[in-house]
Amino acid sequence: MLAYLVRRILQMIPIILGVSLLVFLLFTTVGEDPVRMALGNHATPEAIAGLQAKWGLDQPLYMQYLAFLKQIVTLDFGESYTSGDKLSEMFGHGAIVSLWLTVPPFVVGLVLNLAIAVLIAFYRGSWIDRYSTFLFVAGMSISYLVYIMFFQYVFAFILGWFPINGYEPGLDGVPYLILPWIIITIVSAGPDIRLFRTVFLDETKADYVRTAFAKGCSPRDVMFKHIMKNAMIPVLTYTVINIPTLILGAFLMERFFSIPGTGDILITAINNGDFPIIKALTVLIAIGFTVFNLITDILYAYVDPRVQLD
Amino acid sequence: MSFKRLVTLSCLLGSLLTFGSACTKKKPGEEAKASGGKGGPKVFYHLRTAEEKSIDPHKQFDAASALMVRSLYDTLFQYHYLKRPYDLQPALLEKMPEKKEGNTYLFTIKKGVKFNDNACFPEGKGRELNADDVIFSIKRFADHHVNDRSYTLFAGRLVGLDEFREKSKKEAKGFDYNKLDVPGLKKVDNYSFTMQFTSDSPLNLYPLAASQMSIVAPEAVKKYGDDFDKNPVGTGPFVMKTYSRRGTTVLSKNPNYWETYPTEGEAGDQEKGLLAAAGQKLPFVDEIQLPLIEEPQPAMLKFKSGQLHWVGINRDDFQAMIDRFDDKQFKLKPAFADKFSLYYAPSLSTTYLKFSFQDKLVGKNKALRQAIAAAIDYEGYINLMLNGRGYASQSLIPAEIAGSSKDTGSQWYKTDLELAKKKLAEAGFPEGKGLPELNIEYRSTSKDARQLFEYIRSSLGKVGIKVNGNFQTFSNFLKKTEAGNFQLADAGWNADYPDAENFYALLYGPNKAPLPNDGNFENARYDELYLKMKDMPNGPERFKITAEMDAIVKEEVPYVLLYNQIIAALLQKDVRNFKRHMMDEYPYKYFDVAPK
Repeated sequence: MLAYLVRRILQMIPIILGVSLLVFLLFTTVGEDPVRMALGNHATPEAIAGLQAKWGLDQPLYMQYLAFLKQIVTLDFGESYTSGDKLSEMFGHGAIVSLWLTVPPFVVGLVLNLAIAVLIAFYRGSWIDRYSTFLFVAGMSISYLVYIMFFQYVFAFILGWFPINGYEPGLDGVPYLILPWIIITIVSAGPDIRLFRTVFLDETKADYVRTAFAKGCSPRDVMFKHIMKNAMIPVLTYTVINIPTLILGAFLMERFFSIPGTGDILITAINNGDFPIIKALTVLIAIGFTVFNLITDILYAYVDPRVQLD
Repeated sequence: MSFKRLVTLSCLLGSLLTFGSACTKKKPGEEAKASGGKGGPKVFYHLRTAEEKSIDPHKQFDAASALMVRSLYDTLFQYHYLKRPYDLQPALLEKMPEKKEGNTYLFTIKKGVKFNDNACFPEGKGRELNADDVIFSIKRFADHHVNDRSYTLFAGRLVGLDEFREKSKKEAKGFDYNKLDVPGLKKVDNYSFTMQFTSDSPLNLYPLAASQMSIVAPEAVKKYGDDFDKNPVGTGPFVMKTYSRRGTTVLSKNPNYWETYPTEGEAGDQEKGLLAAAGQKLPFVDEIQLPLIEEPQPAMLKFKSGQLHWVGINRDDFQAMIDRFDDKQFKLKPAFADKFSLYYAPSLSTTYLKFSFQDKLVGKNKALRQAIAAAIDYEGYINLMLNGRGYASQSLIPAEIAGSSKDTGSQWYKTDLELAKKKLAEAGFPEGKGLPELNIEYRSTSKDARQLFEYIRSSLGKVGIKVNGNFQTFSNFLKKTEAGNFQLADAGWNADYPDAENFYALLYGPNKAPLPNDGNFENARYDELYLKMKDMPNGPERFKITAEMDAIVKEEVPYVLLYNQIIAALLQKDVRNFKRHMMDEYPYKYFDVAPK
């Protein structure tokens, strides 16, 4: 187990290096020039040179990349080009807000979607299955933006059930978050339930299911005691791998509801050419994905005794 | 997972919904409606559409930050709130500066102006403003370690200030400004100082009205250091109550503010009630709430539900809410007219397409440029792309600046396809035959840029001119245009100060890139006239010169002048004293909210 962990952690290094190199090259060669974005029209060569020096952009590319690697190792990504705020503080505040926005609907949605998927799989081929399939496919076909605009217009503006937008820290923020939570839950329902249903239906064709029926188990027992347990591996992969994205928040949701989370920070940074924010968040998410991938693999061993970590 | 659990979860979601409705602290409309209530504080609810970059005046360079800086700080000069054309007047000064020897002027500061109370002062009590504060602020504006964005605004104007900036590079960050003298900036006594300018131009004073040249308290700069931008200390009409860059910022009234509401305005202001508060102490509202709302939909929904007093209006909402008439008049549709007020005014900007004179084809072929100018359907462009919110430009100068076509009688091309065809033939390309596809550079890849291009393409296509749009990132656009490496480019100019010189300088020969003449237009007569009009006061003599410059622009067509935009906004009915001011876009200190 320990050897497995060490090996996997060592394997993460080239992945992070690759991602960092890709991000660095992408933004230094293709992206906006942050100095020109900051200075705008008619900047003097002196002003351009001054800002380049201040941000270390006058250094050769390899030096800039090494400085970036140092930031990754120390997890100190410096300051925002536009506001001068420390990124660690910005991300700290933003991540808490984003998690407050995404975790409740993620947890509620997971439980709810699993329950509905089991229900649909249990009644496969029935009208429940057919109508729900239609409903969820239709739901998946509608853009996220449409949900946001429609719900904000109808439930917040016309009906006045929720604030139109805004945010306050802590429990005071709950009234502002309920409508976004509902939207996230509804939007995630379609893809999640379709996936979970497929996983459950795949399991129903397995040999152990026939054996369970042969032993006299009821359909409900087979579904809840046997199938559900075995279907957990793909469900687990899907769920755990989504956890890092929770920190990134929900871009459009944060934008439309004025929720100051990490997603909104990232969109603003892209608009402003704020390279330190973009590269830091990209690398942090890459690290998040590799770490949670590892956690998923470790969890496999607990969920399925057939899986050996060697 | 059992049905029981499913039911439990549904109940949980249901209760969240109910909880949400019950917990909504303020029902729609309640906030703004409460603002004018008897006894309670008067609150003006507005919004910020972008995060401010820095509210340290000497680091500030963006519009979002200017909104804050103008409310928290004062400048030596400001533009009259009501008079048009925009009139420069003393702000922190007792009177306009007195001319002494040569280019030296004596400035006298108002007595009794106090900084806001802050912990940086002894016992937390704001002290009186003095000449040292002004000298400190001007030096800090020029300090290389502080200001890396806006120094060009005042560069080359004050004797010794450029040298001070150069020397500041060699000093450590936060150095003592008394160490370096600026020969053109001398203290006379506590309330007066002199400035020696490098030339005797009326334009020298305009930068002193810019928010970037606000006067700050040296004690606050020293105490807060790098955090000064989060702890603003000025003499402005408001003080920072709550600062949240990505949430709601709240400004509260400075009870000791020195200014009173203007007692005169332009014709019609009296009838509109804009002089009802003449002579009264500013500001009128106790608090300004400024949430960050970056998307137009929630902003408009909040406005419609009465939670904002003032909102800008985008193209779609404009279409849905406003009727337009042929004479550039706009009215709210009946469904909205009883609830809201509409305000619109011309901006101080001109939008155009510019030619590069380095390009061998368009730069050398005047008739081709004239053909393009005659082929574009200007009114159609304004009606379709801007919902009619614009005037077809008649000269470089926007309507609200002295020296516009109202004063000079200048006229730009009218759409004339016959003339365009004739000029195209004259250019050597009858009906466009033999003319290669021309490239137009755009600074964005957005849908709006593409739509604007499609309109131009369709207009020019009618006479046989084919064009291609290059849509790119802003920095790539700048690199390309500043190198003169383009044929046509999307462009525009917003007034830095309300004087025609600011626009005519765009085509002055020596102002080549990185200065604004990146199309490299050169015309000896134009340059001669520019130098003549540059430092002249407005009047018939100056307008005669600028009329000739307009004629040169029309003949040579370095630009295809498209439009001067009209800016529109919606207001709640209870807002008082609102007049759109393009040199100070958020003049909250003059606004009032009627009591219920």
